[in-house]
Amino acid sequence: MSTVYFLAQQTMYFAIPLLIVALGGMFSERSGIVNIALEGIMVVGAFFGIGFINIFQNTMSGQTLLLLAVLVAAAAGALFSLFHAFAAINLKANQTISGTALNMFAPAFAVYTARMIQGVQQVQFMDTFYIRSVPILGDIPVLGQMFFRNAYITTYIGFAIFLISWFIINNTRFGLRLRACGEHPQAADSVGINVYNIRYAGVIISGILAGIGGLTFVIPTSTNFNATVDGYGFLALAVLIFGQWRTQKILVAAFFFGIMKTFASAYSGIPFLKVLPISNEVYKMIPYIATLVVLTFSSKKSQAPRAEGIPYDKGSR
Amino acid sequence: MRRIKLLQYEGFTSFLSSLMAIVAGLLVGLIILLISNAEDAFPAFITILKGGFLDGTRGMAQVIYFAIPIIMTGLSVGFAFKTGLFNIGASGQFTLGAFVAIYIGIKWSFVPEQIHWLVALLGAMAAGAVWGSGPGILKAFFNVNEVITSIMMNYIGMYLVNMSIVKTVYDSLKNQTKPVLKSAILPKAGMDKLFNTGNVSIGIFIVIIAVIVIYIILQKTTFGYELKACGSNKEASKYAGINEKRSIILSMVIAGALSGLGGGLLYLSGSGKYIHVLDVLAPEGFSGISVALLGMSHPIGILLSGLFIAHLEVGGFNIQLYNFVPEVIDMIIAVIIYCGAFALLFKQIISRFIKKGTSEDIEEPQQAAKIPVAAESQVVNSETEENDTEQREDN
Amino acid sequence: MEYVIEMNNITKVFGNFKALDDVTFKVKKGEVHALLGENGAGKSTLMSVLFGLYQAEKGSIKINEKSVKINNPNDASSLKIGMVHQHFKLVHNFTVLESIILGRETVNMGILKKDDARKKVIDLSKRYKLRIDPDAYISDITVGMQQRVEILKMLYSDSEILIFDEPTAVLTPQEIEELMKIMKELVNEGKSIVFISHKLNEIKEAADRCTVLRKGKYIGTVDVATTTKEQMSEMMVGRKINFNIDKNDIETGEAILEVKNLTVIAKNSKKNLVNNVSFEVKAGEILCIAGIDGNGQSELVYGITGLIPINEGQVLLKGKDITKESVRKKSLDGMSHIPEDRHKHGVILDFDLKQNAVLQTYFELRFQKNGFIKFNAVKEYAKKLIKQYDIRSPRDEDSTVRNMSGGNQQKLIVAREIDKDPNIVIAVQPTRGLDIGATEYIHKQLIAQRDQGKAVLLVSLELDEVMDVSDRILVIYEGEIVGDLAPKEITVEELGLYMAGSKRSDKYEKN
Repeated sequence: MSTVYFLAQQTMYFAIPLLIVALGGMFSERSGIVNIALEGIMVVGAFFGIGFINIFQNTMSGQTLLLLAVLVAAAAGALFSLFHAFAAINLKANQTISGTALNMFAPAFAVYTARMIQGVQQVQFMDTFYIRSVPILGDIPVLGQMFFRNAYITTYIGFAIFLISWFIINNTRFGLRLRACGEHPQAADSVGINVYNIRYAGVIISGILAGIGGLTFVIPTSTNFNATVDGYGFLALAVLIFGQWRTQKILVAAFFFGIMKTFASAYSGIPFLKVLPISNEVYKMIPYIATLVVLTFSSKKSQAPRAEGIPYDKGSR
Repeated sequence: MRRIKLLQYEGFTSFLSSLMAIVAGLLVGLIILLISNAEDAFPAFITILKGGFLDGTRGMAQVIYFAIPIIMTGLSVGFAFKTGLFNIGASGQFTLGAFVAIYIGIKWSFVPEQIHWLVALLGAMAAGAVWGSGPGILKAFFNVNEVITSIMMNYIGMYLVNMSIVKTVYDSLKNQTKPVLKSAILPKAGMDKLFNTGNVSIGIFIVIIAVIVIYIILQKTTFGYELKACGSNKEASKYAGINEKRSIILSMVIAGALSGLGGGLLYLSGSGKYIHVLDVLAPEGFSGISVALLGMSHPIGILLSGLFIAHLEVGGFNIQLYNFVPEVIDMIIAVIIYCGAFALLFKQIISRFIKKGTSEDIEEPQQAAKIPVAAESQVVNSETEENDTEQREDN
Repeated sequence: MEYVIEMNNITKVFGNFKALDDVTFKVKKGEVHALLGENGAGKSTLMSVLFGLYQAEKGSIKINEKSVKINNPNDASSLKIGMVHQHFKLVHNFTVLESIILGRETVNMGILKKDDARKKVIDLSKRYKLRIDPDAYISDITVGMQQRVEILKMLYSDSEILIFDEPTAVLTPQEIEELMKIMKELVNEGKSIVFISHKLNEIKEAADRCTVLRKGKYIGTVDVATTTKEQMSEMMVGRKINFNIDKNDIETGEAILEVKNLTVIAKNSKKNLVNNVSFEVKAGEILCIAGIDGNGQSELVYGITGLIPINEGQVLLKGKDITKESVRKKSLDGMSHIPEDRHKHGVILDFDLKQNAVLQTYFELRFQKNGFIKFNAVKEYAKKLIKQYDIRSPRDEDSTVRNMSGGNQQKLIVAREIDKDPNIVIAVQPTRGLDIGATEYIHKQLIAQRDQGKAVLLVSLELDEVMDVSDRILVIYEGEIVGDLAPKEITVEELGLYMAGSKRSDKYEKN
């Protein structure tokens, strides 16, 4: 049973960043802008977030420090995403190229800045945020062990983001208008909605969430940031597509992959698996192979936003 | 009028746009250097610009050495672009090719010496081709976005190769592949005397041949015509009777073969390069994207931009003398690519300018010009194709 | 004289192109005022200026006698101007209610309050007799209902001035009648209506006055009741139009194309898009399949030509069963297809003219050897087509097709398909979006083919085209053939009844 709890806790570390970033991607794409720069934005968010912790961890610690770092990561991600927004919306550039450029820039920037400032490229930090057990909630039988022990506050932030995103997309004026811009921007424009502004908002939200996602990825799994998020930004895109751009399905998809990843890295903790002569690399491949299999069967009937990737031109009727 | 005529040539406007992007990128690089260390910034910048020429023929050889793999991956990505696919999986194909080349180079000692390296290169191409076919088949038959599948294949390929190295050609002390047999190393053909260094091979000639072959395929053959048609307008190609599935798969197979060949050329160059068993994706695959974009997906353009980027990389390597970090080059290249994205806008404006001046009646406004690097709306919109059914769901 | 709209000396320029040249347009309160002109005359542009989608370079606008500046649709909206666009601006996966409130949502701190909106919408729908279902999804409702949603959008924001842009293009004759009634109802309530059209019949029926534009210039305003169709059309095109097309009677020959029991089932809804259709096209005849968009004719043609798979049935060409052949094989067997959507299927916009000229034939031995293209042969061929068919373009055979006008793109497609010397030409909406000159030209080409003894299958929803060009008419409704008519023996109104499913020939009674 303790294995199950262990797996559940580990899954959180992998699933939550995927969830947050995929939701960010959703806001961008449903407003009409393809954003494959999620990987790069995660790197930027993680870099500034971890950097912030590194600088201030002598004077602050614990959840306060982490929460401030989350804000820093969000801001950094938002600012970085503006480059993509500007290229895609104002200049009507090819969004895949713009996204790729950001993905290339981010890790190079992280390495360069880290080495220029502190000489080495890994940015270290002390983990003072680990929550052994949430008061009261952690003592609930079964569920307490699974969700409220060996956790980080970022996990709960992730769930909050999910609930807020779901609400915004479905029940607010902003959500309605955002969806219109992604499906049929001419319709939105003809009722006086400013498509450009809404799309900017969509991209900036994706920047905020991807930034937070980057930080959320590094904190539970490491003690330093090494200018990479191991392809998580791209995995988040897969989650977005598998989740058919809808919040609830994205949640399911994120946890599916989270479980796969956990399996891959934690299999040595499962007694009977440890003995099998399957090499470590095979386990590492599993999440990626699983993604391929799943996508193969779910791509036929896509609900991608119809106007995504197409720059909006007022002249076209 | 002369000016309009000149601007009507696609090649000229493309070249102009690339040039502007390069200047912008270099400027940003200079600014970064200035912010980091104003004193040494200008000398360092000049060093970057000098690139390989800093070191005479040895430097030039180094540029060629760096250029070879990325021109190949650039061709790979560019070729796929022309046919409407974004081959972000060049890394995985490259790695597979490299591994197979090394494996043949070490284990297949039964192959006659004179052609050992050739057989190894062919093996590399085959491996890359197989690896490229995966995303191609999934896209053709299941309509899966090739960007995501290629990325997955990159990682799967990396783990697969690492695992295979450990099982077959492993140097456990240095955690890398063993050296290949002498016969598998690419011949030098006297180039080492010419460039005054051991770091050369006939690799560059093979690259040039590849460039020419791809150019001929794309521009002169019916096969190229079909591929470009599919890349530009899938529906019209169907109407024209072109077998779309076949085109997608063949295109990815060729792209994969090109990247695989790149891998083989790099690791058989006899310069002491070994595959390290680390969980790191081959960066040459991503450089290929930059090369393809900067070269506007045109084979000749790719050749030139590959050399140019390699030139910058050597320059970047050299600025460590001034205590700068070479990653600034990657940032410069990223900015060049970023600016390249709206260089295409520049071309669009020119095209509208021509149309207004020459055609008489304008009946319906046409959609914004589809960008030649068809990755744009095809990449993610490929999924909307079969969208006849309406399945709205609550979000 | 109270003018509710006054647009004075409007000039609108796009680059080098003058879309509107010193146009004056005045609408009285409470009237139905038609705006007549050919494609490209500037009607939509003028209304777009009124609606704030474009800003005029010169000129002024007065609404209700007050000078105004309309910079965007929001300004137009606050001036109580509303517009129903030709191409509906509706989001496919929104509900009717969501579509109506988009842009005018009632909110409480940003959160949507749908109940109040729902009430208002239902009230409006009852008051103006606009039947709708607030919770239906746009993609599921009929075109007629979609248009009513667009009208409700205007009424929901309390528009007083309503602009309809080619409202009848996609409606059945019966739905058109309903629309006329709705417009009368709206005028009774004090609204003023502008409707843009190039259909003289409708203008005669519904409008009080009519303003004519030609090539961006204001030609005149007439009182509809006292002006004949011929007079209005002369103003519209600048010359007398021959309403009847010259066509000789020809003896028909053997059946070239035979379609037997053709059925196409929708992938996901299991609905029969084409339901057991059988017919034949003889040599020397133009058979027209007439029907409102969306009744299966697109799928019928795609099935015959091989672009989509057929579930049941057979297609025979000169007696040979070609049902299962590939698109290319069918083309080689003598089938030519002028597609419905020229940008989607007909041409590759980024290729140049000569590459498009050989789109169907590039693999033939005259254009390639061992896989290598014979560039000279291709170039000469393109030049020949340009000369023979009078195709205009910026750089002749080297022009990028994207830079050609729609009419010339279509001429290129027609040229290419006819030059193949096919046994049958399948032309779907071949004159859609084209001006009178190009339309006449293409009709002439089709008739010439028929005169030479070829078979022509024409699919159209332009009633004039259907009546004047075809030798025989088959009406398609909801995937089935419901009538086999001779154009000389029926009236347009009768044809309309068939198209709307209200009438069926005895042969085609439903069992």
